[in-house]
Amino acid sequence: MAQQRTHVDDVDRSLYDVANAEDPTARFEAGLTPEIVTEISRRKNEPEWMLDFRLKSLDLFSRMPAPDWGPSLAGLDLDDIVAYVKPATDQQSDWNSLPDDVKNTFDRLGIPEAERAYLAGVGAQYDSELVYHSMQDAAAKMGIVYSGIEEALGDPQWEPIIREKFMTLIPPHDHKFAALHGAVWSGGSFVYVPAETRLDYPLQSYFRLNAKGAGQFEHTLIIVEDGADLHFIEGCSAPKYNVANLHAGAVELFVGKGAHLRYSTIENWSKNMYNLNTKRALVDADGDVEWISGSFGSHVGYLYPMSILKGDRAACSFTGITFAGAGQNLDTGCKVVLAAPDTSAAVETKSISKDGGVSTFRSSVVATERAERAKASVSCQSLMLDDKSRSDTIPAMDIRCNTVSIGHEATIGRIADDTVFYLMSRGISEEEAKAMIVNGFAEPVSKELPLEYAVEMNNLIKLEMEGAIG
Amino acid sequence: MDTAVLHSVNAMPAPTWHRLAMNHATIDVPDDLALEHRADVRCDPALFGEAGAFDAALRGLQVHTFGTPEAACSLDDAKALVERETSPAGQDGFNPLDATALSAFQTRAAAVEVTRSVAGAFETGMGPEALDFLREASGAAVVLATAPGDAPAQASVRTFALEGALNACAIDVAVADGTELDLALTHESGKVSRGMIGSSLRAYVGRGATLRLSVTQAAGEGTTVLDDSGIVLDEGARLVVRHSVLGGDEAYGGLACDLRGTGSQASVTTRYIGQNSQKRDFNFVMRHRGEHTASSLNVAGVLAGSSEKTLRGTIDFVRGCKGAEGSEVENVLMTSDDAVNRSVPVILCGEDDVAGNHGATIGSMNPEQLFYLESRGLSSQAAEAMALRATVENAYFDAPDSFARAAVVAFGRVHFPDFEESVA
Repeated sequence: MAQQRTHVDDVDRSLYDVANAEDPTARFEAGLTPEIVTEISRRKNEPEWMLDFRLKSLDLFSRMPAPDWGPSLAGLDLDDIVAYVKPATDQQSDWNSLPDDVKNTFDRLGIPEAERAYLAGVGAQYDSELVYHSMQDAAAKMGIVYSGIEEALGDPQWEPIIREKFMTLIPPHDHKFAALHGAVWSGGSFVYVPAETRLDYPLQSYFRLNAKGAGQFEHTLIIVEDGADLHFIEGCSAPKYNVANLHAGAVELFVGKGAHLRYSTIENWSKNMYNLNTKRALVDADGDVEWISGSFGSHVGYLYPMSILKGDRAACSFTGITFAGAGQNLDTGCKVVLAAPDTSAAVETKSISKDGGVSTFRSSVVATERAERAKASVSCQSLMLDDKSRSDTIPAMDIRCNTVSIGHEATIGRIADDTVFYLMSRGISEEEAKAMIVNGFAEPVSKELPLEYAVEMNNLIKLEMEGAIG
Repeated sequence: MDTAVLHSVNAMPAPTWHRLAMNHATIDVPDDLALEHRADVRCDPALFGEAGAFDAALRGLQVHTFGTPEAACSLDDAKALVERETSPAGQDGFNPLDATALSAFQTRAAAVEVTRSVAGAFETGMGPEALDFLREASGAAVVLATAPGDAPAQASVRTFALEGALNACAIDVAVADGTELDLALTHESGKVSRGMIGSSLRAYVGRGATLRLSVTQAAGEGTTVLDDSGIVLDEGARLVVRHSVLGGDEAYGGLACDLRGTGSQASVTTRYIGQNSQKRDFNFVMRHRGEHTASSLNVAGVLAGSSEKTLRGTIDFVRGCKGAEGSEVENVLMTSDDAVNRSVPVILCGEDDVAGNHGATIGSMNPEQLFYLESRGLSSQAAEAMALRATVENAYFDAPDSFARAAVVAFGRVHFPDFEESVA
């Protein structure tokens, strides 16, 4: 008898697949040269140190090898990637001031509506530049700064701070695509939350890459001072093209003593995207960073948010879900460094593979000699929805302190027949039972998101169970 | 001996970040080591088999599995085929972005299955470089083979370190359908200033047959031990492995098991200790190819002093192994601030109808256990020393033969003055 199998539809991306016409004069030539890097810097009127930084990064990039342990990057020819595409507008603080096509794009994505409903501030990037930035007056009065990072770089008050921290958590020599980012970064946000300040509503940055064959290299720098609290949301999408696009952004988070930062991401790049993003947080004593991550899009993904717990009792958590469908190889996970006494980390991840998609959970937990009494728990669960797909789990632990307590568990498999049977014995149809199980599988992530985003995620997954198919 | 460095030993099938320095080990082999192949082998003379028995068994399994003695293609051709299906240089009109961009190891893994070759897929835990090195150093292999209808058989092989020498032994095993073999390997040495012990085991376990492998490593200071195994299981075959790794400055252990036959099972239990600046490096690979196969890895050890241990444990569910189950459990007790533990418990999965899990706990002694012991007058240091000693005592009680028992007693005598009396 044929094995009965659950059918799960692909993620519905029609909402995200609308591409706008491009102005060809707004594109730089494809490829990476010192001239292109210099021109990016010139256009942004950057200080000299930043141009030097870019050129040194470009030199590093040209000399560093591509990773050989992850999904193939053979389909990504960097000579074909356009490093900079200027949108047809300057940055605005009013949605109605944007060109119609850009405004309509963000309208479709629901960003203005979300801003009105529950966000304290929004930044929207279109190709290589921020096109919209706004924050509520109440937040500004609290001393919170939320601006484009380039804008902040041009402000004498913030320039020294950015110079002090920029790419210190993700140095260009860290890996090839960090070096690439250092050379051609453009756009992104700067957030500063003063000490003991709590923002009750999230800030959100949304990144839209419209240009065919282009790269997006935004840089997000967030400083949450001692005792402060922030929820930051990041979203991203792109229309699908038949050539490769590249996202190599960087996120650097500095979490002060006793501060709390929640960083939520719903990643829904198109399936021609190489998402080679790097995210890191440095957490001081009693601070806490929470990563919430949903990875749905991209052709290839390398994404491992890293938490460096340098202060006593600092903590981090990572809750993530990855959905890999046809043509996708998503290599995701996280890194944790327990570098101080009584630090703690909790990692919980889920992955779903279907239709030949490949999902890999990759992690590292490093406990240094200083990590006395540190604790870490890592749990990863993988669900295989067919026998064409693949799901790998590659966790690494490097423990150099004997008073730590490290736990790790992982399970892999398909929807259990006995679970379906149990639900069916309670009067639920097989179709509904399987849908419930898959939705329940994703629930630990969706419950951590604001309601509106949880709904978006559920829509994004759109797990339409079509019942048992022989 | 030209080789001075084995560059890639105990390499895990799916590599991770190079920065972690866990993907593989590198072994320095002094150029001037003399080559010896001295091993004591004890078994019924009838158990000695013909040279080539292992390769012949794999040829039989090839026909039994694929219906032909020939592989479908070479590994290189298979890789090219897999890459053609997924690479930018694909067919006309085919957008490579619609194909899954497999990693190098995923491509290789897919290609190995495309070759439809039992011998081509054969591997040992320490990998091809170590296999070639140990086979070359060992000279002619000891061949042990049971015949259908044989009574359960036993064999003991003892290798030992010699001053300034690499003493290596190659063993080929073919356990015939329905038979049983208990094979005990003992690696030991007194104190040498410089010496290496090597063993290279290739084993085929036939339909419904059982191989019980016990490896007792009780080498002394100055010794590096290389213990490499590759085992292929036919339908309903059973493998039970017990490792006791006690000594040696550096101990490398690799075991790869091809659970090829439907319903085959493998169970590996490893106990180890690390003291002073000793190094322990393990690579275990359970490759599930047959339907309803089952594997279990259970590794536990105690790390004291500034010892270092790396465990790479991989359960691989190859597409087609429906109904397979694999589990891996690791417990590490670190009794010193200077000890280093590295663990990479990997699950690779290309099949949906499987159940795989792994769990690991790493750290100091459980506070409740410690409290219990302290309430009975034991300090935490004494309690941790007790854990170290208990591993050695268990090795004694689990020792399958007199070679192993004598080696553990000799080892215990060096480290615990009253050891002999306590296990008597």
